[in-house]
Amino acid sequence: MNLFTYSHAKDAATATAAVTRDAHAAFFGGGTTLVDLMQLEVMNPKSLVDVTSLPLSRIENGPHGGLRVGALVRNSELASDERIRRRYPVLSEAILSGASPQIRNMATTAGNLLQRTRCPYFRDLFSACNKREPGSGCAAQAGFTRVHAVLGTSEKCIATFPGDMPVALMALDAAVRTQKSTGNVRSIPLADFYVGYGEDPARETVLEHGELITAVDLPPTGWMARSSYVKVRDRASYEFALASAAVALDISGGTVREARVALGGIATKPWRSLEAEKALAGARAGEPAWRAAADAALADAKPQKDNAFKIELARRVLVRALTTAASREIA
Amino acid sequence: MNALIQEKAPSESSEGPAKAAPAPGKSVGTPIDRVDGRLKITGKARYAAEFRPKGLVHCVAVQSTIAKGTITSIDWAAARSAPGVLAILTHENTPKLKTLKGGDPSSGHAGEDLPALSGAEIHFAGQYVALVVAEKLEQARRAAALVRVSYREEKPVLQIAEAEPSATYPKQNLGRELQHKRGDAAAALQAPGAVVHQATYTTPVETHNPMELSATIAEWQGKKLTVWDATQAVIGSKGSLAKAFGISKEDVHVICPYVGGGFGCKGSQWPHTFAAAMAASAVKRPVSLVVSRSQMFTSVGHRPPTIQKIALAADRSGKLTAIRHESTSPTSPVTDYIEPCGKNSSAMLYACENADIPQRLVRVNVAAPTFMRAPGETPGCYAIESAMDELAVALEMDPIELRLQNYADVNPSDGKPWSSKRLMECYTMGTERFGWKDRNPKPGSMREGDLLVGWGMATAVYPGYRWPASAVIRWTPDGRARVRAATQDLGTGAYTVFTQVSADALGLPADRILFELGDSEFPEAPVSGGSNSSASVSEAIIQAAVEIKKKLAEIAAKGPGSALSGLAPEQLVFSDGRLVAASDPSRGVAVTDLIRQSGEEAVEATASVKLEDEKTRKFSIHSFGAHFCEVKIDPLLPRVQATRWVSVMNIGRVLNPKTSRSQVLGGVTMGIGMALMEHTVYDERTGRPVTENLADYLVPVNADIGSIEVHFVGEPDPVINTLGCRGVGEIGITGAAAAVANAVYHATGKRIRDLPITPDKLL
Repeated sequence: MNLFTYSHAKDAATATAAVTRDAHAAFFGGGTTLVDLMQLEVMNPKSLVDVTSLPLSRIENGPHGGLRVGALVRNSELASDERIRRRYPVLSEAILSGASPQIRNMATTAGNLLQRTRCPYFRDLFSACNKREPGSGCAAQAGFTRVHAVLGTSEKCIATFPGDMPVALMALDAAVRTQKSTGNVRSIPLADFYVGYGEDPARETVLEHGELITAVDLPPTGWMARSSYVKVRDRASYEFALASAAVALDISGGTVREARVALGGIATKPWRSLEAEKALAGARAGEPAWRAAADAALADAKPQKDNAFKIELARRVLVRALTTAASREIA
Repeated sequence: MNALIQEKAPSESSEGPAKAAPAPGKSVGTPIDRVDGRLKITGKARYAAEFRPKGLVHCVAVQSTIAKGTITSIDWAAARSAPGVLAILTHENTPKLKTLKGGDPSSGHAGEDLPALSGAEIHFAGQYVALVVAEKLEQARRAAALVRVSYREEKPVLQIAEAEPSATYPKQNLGRELQHKRGDAAAALQAPGAVVHQATYTTPVETHNPMELSATIAEWQGKKLTVWDATQAVIGSKGSLAKAFGISKEDVHVICPYVGGGFGCKGSQWPHTFAAAMAASAVKRPVSLVVSRSQMFTSVGHRPPTIQKIALAADRSGKLTAIRHESTSPTSPVTDYIEPCGKNSSAMLYACENADIPQRLVRVNVAAPTFMRAPGETPGCYAIESAMDELAVALEMDPIELRLQNYADVNPSDGKPWSSKRLMECYTMGTERFGWKDRNPKPGSMREGDLLVGWGMATAVYPGYRWPASAVIRWTPDGRARVRAATQDLGTGAYTVFTQVSADALGLPADRILFELGDSEFPEAPVSGGSNSSASVSEAIIQAAVEIKKKLAEIAAKGPGSALSGLAPEQLVFSDGRLVAASDPSRGVAVTDLIRQSGEEAVEATASVKLEDEKTRKFSIHSFGAHFCEVKIDPLLPRVQATRWVSVMNIGRVLNPKTSRSQVLGGVTMGIGMALMEHTVYDERTGRPVTENLADYLVPVNADIGSIEVHFVGEPDPVINTLGCRGVGEIGITGAAAAVANAVYHATGKRIRDLPITPDKLL
């Protein structure tokens, strides 16, 4: 670990100012990713600005009947919140399927959106990695690729986004609220929040340096109670997804009016599948439609050397998630 | 914070409420709590890396990033000027240690033949190339990252297939015959009418991941070296350090009161132990070197991968006519370690006249492999017990029936009678407890809702080793006895069972015994490996008790008008703090009176127990058992969940049912991990481990393990020692992975012959 300075911000203005003026500064929330990567010297901020005292720890009623989740709401609190469990079960399920109770007690909502990949070559300082060291190459491509992505990859990077919560938020069409040092506040639809791996795999979101996430807004949509998260991994708990799916279904009279589909564990970012959503819209609810959606979602998937199985696994995971969501009654 | 933090309410221990303390002399066989339990849960048990000799500084090892080649230069200027740095050691500026080749695990056995920093040549990725010593650990880590090593790289040999030209058939392993052949297996396999099953089974690299990282603190005082070492062998550590530094064994003192798990990776001495002492010598301060979790994957051994080709032939009744089991495992340029798969499994498990059990060895540029829980038996039992299951399918026989059909009444590899087998009872009891009779043999036929249910079984086997050991008893006038032996407690319960053995040997309640271990200045005891400790050290304690009885009898005889006059020591026994006539327990004297009478501060006696070759060599001593496993699998999303388990074991006398049960629980859990997830991956180009942390190298978590029932059958082993106890550290893992694989086949109809059985293999 490199030497760094540490300061504790009392309000968002101070925090954003402190990080904005120092190109090597970083916000510090739950620390569950950052401290790990600092220990490995994969991330080397010279200054940490602790934002955990900011008043961003509440889940409140949002503007249009949705919910506003404060950036510092811990994963365990978010997952157990009665309103979340009732109105957005996919979110609670996604969070509880990730990490361990101890980590969920520390991890924050904003920090969870910014998790870094578990690609072993990203974590190994002696391997080429365009994400860690732009322009150095990608050691993963010809390496051990069982856990890597099959969607959204490029010649520069095949690293999987490891998280669960953001996959659910993607299916919920959530929006990220941010604040800059100028005081400017913006709301970024999650679909626009993550950047694809075209040119620069080091850049993962549209956030500017010093821009602070203050909340995540969940939409008012009533039918999202009919949602579910399904995840397959190598062990029963405390493990990243081999493939996961977050879905929400608006079904009326046995017909799907609208659907939201996002996939995890198989893509370079939380993967919203508009193709699957399109396949589902207007379809008769049932296994043939779920299968067609799964085929559509994975149509462009490109396997790596060791992970062709992920394509079939993701299809099955999506079918199960749709089956489960469709079976849910909504009040 | 909220309700989610506590996911589960604490449940009552399965042993039920605490029982009353056992009566004096009746402690062995009772499930007393761990005597060191309170110290551990209150954080007062001090592990090796937690000692703080005055002036302690920290060392971090820099490792090679290439698998083969030569160091051309080491640039350590930036590291040397980093804050807190005291010294940087490389092969260029450090006195060479003596070679460590050879040696046996009990007197000292280095994991790598070449000592740390012995030269510029690189044999595997992860080899120590420099040591950085700094005031603080963080400073040493930072500076270590600044050391730049340049290499002349050569193409390494990393895969077994590439190493095939170097394959050999070593004659011996650790002084024992390695290859086995009897009868004519090749002919029997060709015989007309034979039902033949042939398949290749492979197991991956597995890495020990005890909770406690390997660590050594070293301090020199003149020529004397003191080390606090996380080790399974304080005497071994002493021997290896003395050899490496060319000093007398008397000048090395090794201390290790607690070990947080070893599984074999702390059985030999690894570079960090020597490096700590080298660094301490260089900076003239005590030095701590804690191996990091990622370094555990290169620098303290691992279980090498295996390729096992099995061919079985049987007649229609299921009688085996041939067993062929050829194993190949790779070793490293810096060791001759062999994973002997068939010798203690296929060669001796089943009655069969024709057996061919060759063991092949190849050499690759990978870090040294080493002993890992039931080395050889674990992968070997996976292969043969899977193959037996496949043969049973081919014969349309129940797998237990097939095993009974080939039950070996004597050891078929050497013709010797078993000291105590009782495997039949293991099968019978396991069958009943598990409910095996309700099994529909057809694969995929059993369901629970949408889930596929599979039931599988396998045999467990592990040799009953006993090695030379010694112990000293010191009985004081306060009526307490302190017993010492240079053995170790890996978290297994050694403190507890040796307290019980001591209590019974001296006729005292267990709370009058202070059993101490983990110090090389105590009477010598073997490495805690090969599940030998209970068998070895208990005998030393019992013989030391015989010696102290002789001394007390002499004192009694000198006393005027002693109640025991005229009685020889053999006619006396200890009973509740008294030395009494065996024939008339009312006739006796309090031991405390005898100690006072002696005029000494205490009465002390030592015993060193050699092996009773005359008696034991006529028998084959093994523990046996049977595992029964239930798995449930979602056919759409096929992750295997091991939901229910029954293990029945014969380990001879059970010293403590609670700690013994825990040992089997741990073995089964590790076996489930082996079956379903454990897998160390090395990058195919660099040879560096890719899965080198506990997020990427999976071991089971609580949610992976269903109910595990453990039962013990059998009687005290009449041959191995006075108490008749065999160790229980390893048998639990043997066969466990096969039981899972067999259950997976039963559930799905898919036979997975390549571990681990991850969801992708069942799609």
